[in-house]
Amino acid sequence: MAELNTTAPIDDLVAEAANWTPVSLLEQIKEQGRTWVDLAVDYGVTNPDPPWKTSLDGMCEVLAAGTCSSMAAVEKGWLAGDTDRSTLEGAPPLPLLERRWEEDALSETLYQDVPYPERQLLALVHSLIKRGLVKEEDLAARMKQVHERLAAE
Amino acid sequence: MSHDHHHGHNPPAPMVDEVSDFEALEIAVRELCIEKGLFTADDHRKFTEFAEHIGPTPAARMVAKAWLDPEYRKLCLTDSLTACKAVGVDLLNPTGFGTPSDYTDVRVLEDTPTLHHVVVCTLCSCYPRPILGFQPEWYRTPNYRRRLVRWPRQVLAEFGLVLPSEVEIRVEDSNQKCRFIVMPVRPAGTEGWTEDQLTEIVTRDCLIGVALPKPGMTSNIKLPVHKAAKPAH
Amino acid sequence: MSQHDRTHHAKIATGKGDPQCFKGTTGGPPKFKVGDRVRIKDLPDIFYTRCQVYTRGAVGEVAVITHESPAPEDEAWGHVDHSEWFYIVRFKQKDLWPEYPDAFGNDSLQTEFSERWLELA
Repeated sequence: MAELNTTAPIDDLVAEAANWTPVSLLEQIKEQGRTWVDLAVDYGVTNPDPPWKTSLDGMCEVLAAGTCSSMAAVEKGWLAGDTDRSTLEGAPPLPLLERRWEEDALSETLYQDVPYPERQLLALVHSLIKRGLVKEEDLAARMKQVHERLAAE
Repeated sequence: MSHDHHHGHNPPAPMVDEVSDFEALEIAVRELCIEKGLFTADDHRKFTEFAEHIGPTPAARMVAKAWLDPEYRKLCLTDSLTACKAVGVDLLNPTGFGTPSDYTDVRVLEDTPTLHHVVVCTLCSCYPRPILGFQPEWYRTPNYRRRLVRWPRQVLAEFGLVLPSEVEIRVEDSNQKCRFIVMPVRPAGTEGWTEDQLTEIVTRDCLIGVALPKPGMTSNIKLPVHKAAKPAH
Repeated sequence: MSQHDRTHHAKIATGKGDPQCFKGTTGGPPKFKVGDRVRIKDLPDIFYTRCQVYTRGAVGEVAVITHESPAPEDEAWGHVDHSEWFYIVRFKQKDLWPEYPDAFGNDSLQTEFSERWLELA
């Protein structure tokens, strides 16, 4: 069956994503992290979503919220190969289509075996790291701190 | 092991007692983003509240009300913001303007005995979340998005929905700011039903258009989208 | 990260919603009316687009005029001072896909375009 070009960049992105360098921190979490499907069963919790899901969704939205449709302008620039955002007024850090298409590509490649909400989180973080908006080392350090902070409560 | 007797109290609801790496990652990335000025804690809170306000399919009640009240049906088709308020959803709340995913132009697609609608967003999986809840995982997959526009009857058959050739299947590709729900035809066997009873059979799958409402059918399809990498047991 | 007014959108849209906040901003009536036969232009792909490739060159009918809004292809980066009318255009599936079975000749598909993508057929 021929590939459908209904969403123009996605098929190219998927092909490209197969060559994306994995992020070691995220690979580690992917291998060792306990997903909600397992946690919920182990603790007998019936909530279909992990407690951080709504905060994750909030983050995806707020990163895409620029000054109105300026988000579209950034998406356009990205498709044209322009990744310099410093000149854009009101440009959102991570526009919707950009993030969703990368999530699609990562879901078919690096994170294909990860359940959905965890996959959405890994893809978001991957997109942020890829753009230099957060650093892997900073994340690793902060995660360690978070674990210590929450264990102490 | 001794038993604590909580006189007159129910045992506490089970809770997950460990912090997963994913939970820690979410907190860590959020804190770092706020520290770098990518967004403020306040703005994040607003959008999170938006997500938390999303309850179970108010749109089901919109359809049930529309089936019972021709005036409300008309309202659904002409002033959806007001129609949504009638089922407790203020699309302008709490952000005041929807979100970059949601916007505030909701359209109701009315089925007839010879016209059946089904909704998809080929570009990214846009969905009327405030009235329909969150997208099912299958709705987000490129598999559904790529195939529904071109082979709707095959994809619907995979959901167990086969329609005669005389029925026009109309695919709505939701690619801009409008958001869509399907208003199915009220099924036979529901004469004299209350609004609550009708609401129960208007499932999320019916509101997307991959299922038809039936007396006795109150749940959505469970599609295996993903094999678990680490099975629970 | 340049300083900018991230509250701009909230200021203009709160209380009205988006796209409702753009009502009247095109400054004129829609170019097309319900029932018009229109063709989807195949504008060059150097432009960002929400106009799906599978619709390019296809002919359909204007089914609904929805709202005014800045087009996603807006060339002014970060500016929202140019709006267009948006239209839901309905196509026969057999006009979109060469192999679509004649047995299902009634089947249709509709999707939304900003005005710049349409011309009278």
